[in-house]
Amino acid sequence: MKTNVKRMSGCVATANAVKLANVDVICSYPIRPYTGIMSELARMVADGELDAEFVLGEGEHGQLSVVYGASAAGARAFTGSSGVGVTYAMEVYSPISGERLPLQMAIADRTLDPPGDFGSEHTDALCCRDQGWIQGWAASPQEALDMTLLYYRIGEDPRVLLPQYACQDGYFVSHILGEVDVPTQEQVNEFLPPYKNHHVLDTRDPQIIGAQMEPEMGPGTQYQRHLAVENTYKVFEEVHDEFGKIFGRQYDPWLEEYMTEDAEIVFFLQGAHAVTAKNVVKHLRNLGEKVGVVRLRTFRPFPTKQVRECLKRFKVVGVVDNSVNFGISCGSGVLLTEARAALYNNDEKVKTIGFVAGLGGSMITQNEFYQMFTILKNINKTGKVEKESYWVPFEL
Amino acid sequence: MIKKDLFAEPGLKQITVWGRGVYENKEARDVVVSLTEAAALEGKYVQAWENYVDLPDRIYVPVRAYGKISSNPIESKYVYENEAPDIVVLTEETLVKGVDILAGIKPNATLIINSKRAPEYLFKFIKSNTENLAKIVTIDANNLSTSVITLSGAEGATDASGIGKGIGAPLAAAIVKATGIVSFNNLLDIIVNKSAARKAYDQAIIANVHDLIKTYA
Repeated sequence: MKTNVKRMSGCVATANAVKLANVDVICSYPIRPYTGIMSELARMVADGELDAEFVLGEGEHGQLSVVYGASAAGARAFTGSSGVGVTYAMEVYSPISGERLPLQMAIADRTLDPPGDFGSEHTDALCCRDQGWIQGWAASPQEALDMTLLYYRIGEDPRVLLPQYACQDGYFVSHILGEVDVPTQEQVNEFLPPYKNHHVLDTRDPQIIGAQMEPEMGPGTQYQRHLAVENTYKVFEEVHDEFGKIFGRQYDPWLEEYMTEDAEIVFFLQGAHAVTAKNVVKHLRNLGEKVGVVRLRTFRPFPTKQVRECLKRFKVVGVVDNSVNFGISCGSGVLLTEARAALYNNDEKVKTIGFVAGLGGSMITQNEFYQMFTILKNINKTGKVEKESYWVPFEL
Repeated sequence: MIKKDLFAEPGLKQITVWGRGVYENKEARDVVVSLTEAAALEGKYVQAWENYVDLPDRIYVPVRAYGKISSNPIESKYVYENEAPDIVVLTEETLVKGVDILAGIKPNATLIINSKRAPEYLFKFIKSNTENLAKIVTIDANNLSTSVITLSGAEGATDASGIGKGIGAPLAAAIVKATGIVSFNNLLDIIVNKSAARKAYDQAIIANVHDLIKTYA
């Protein structure tokens, strides 16, 4: 099935997917590390490889406003950002999902200020997690390419019609070259039909989109958006099945499990650091430890049922958050609170311990994963939890 | 206690290339990309990347490009730097001064320098971490080719200017001559300037560091 394997960064892999998706309008504004996606797309447009309108926004708020309008006018639209660029555009996210416009935004994570650090941290994208967008993390350039195609298809499904954040860890995934099997245009055409907006903004058929409304119209509008998000679960599964048939890569839409059979302890995390966790777990297995990794692939919508059914099989779960959520319950991160919420009403007694790690884009080293495992192993042995969360490496 | 070699990767070779910002960051990247792509032709597991913190758009600051070549799947994938290089390359000779180019090198390491000067002369300027250095290789790459100055390919994007057109080609050839890390024919399949590479393969001077130390002792 390997047709066209090349080595490329996550940025280039995403740009290739955008080209294969035959996007109509792209709006860029530079910020590390996602910039590589836009420089690659700009080259493709300049070289005639991609026929798309390439617009330079005056900032991220402008970027999102441009693709908002483009999507409303019936275009398949693409944009992206990183770090404070993501948060600068905050106002525009809710209107886009509220108007049910399935445009896509790539986010290559970058730490928010202070200070000006361009290392990866999931905080930027996670700030926007509840805006009615689809959101998940790719752990490799291949997955970044596939996620772009999958998300357009899911988002544009008439049962869904929601925008998507296709996230990848900045630098680790966005800048380090990995092997990518680039699909053919024929495969992509079969998988991803042209975008059809049923309420096109058109001067020949005037209509108002995003008009002011009365307070009593609010509940119904929000409930519709809630139902749209709830509808995505089924579509995610259908589309991933079809993707597997056409491209030969079958992903579980929600979770990737690694060495979890008979495991008593698992790491639960998302994104690139799961790759390091898997390597550590492989060596720990060689030492006879019953340990595995569960990687969350989709954060929004959160796969509550799947996470509950999966994690309740284990005795101790170490939840590794790569974001800051100052003052959050248990002092860890949002992944821990989501995992705990998913597990709350089950009869099993699973212990969940939070770790905040890899902040500012620092690596989560193999030794740090080993130290986290030592804590989890001790809890499994004694049954005692002395501390609910740890900041790595200071509190290990 | 953690076993010391629990995460060791015995089949892994690390290549670190030092260059000067803007003028040579493409060439530094070309050296690792040409070697890793040639190694991939030989069925090896490879990884190429540039230092994320060096800011290669600042003129003449030292910048680094990295390569990994392994007979096994690479486990230390998401890292910032090569911690223990087997091969260190300087695209410009003055980097021997004031930059700790040999930090962390593995035993039996090789240093390749783009210079018309003799290895023994350049060796005098290297003040630290020479204990593990086995060979110094010099090649006058500027005499065989011209550095391609471009930001194409920066920030993880595709280098549309082609691989191995400038001084990266003769430098990679000198590395292959001194270390045999890939076959020379496979390197030639990847790079554009094959003629410069062939000449470099003939002209590269390889000096044994042990002999240099004896000479100057």
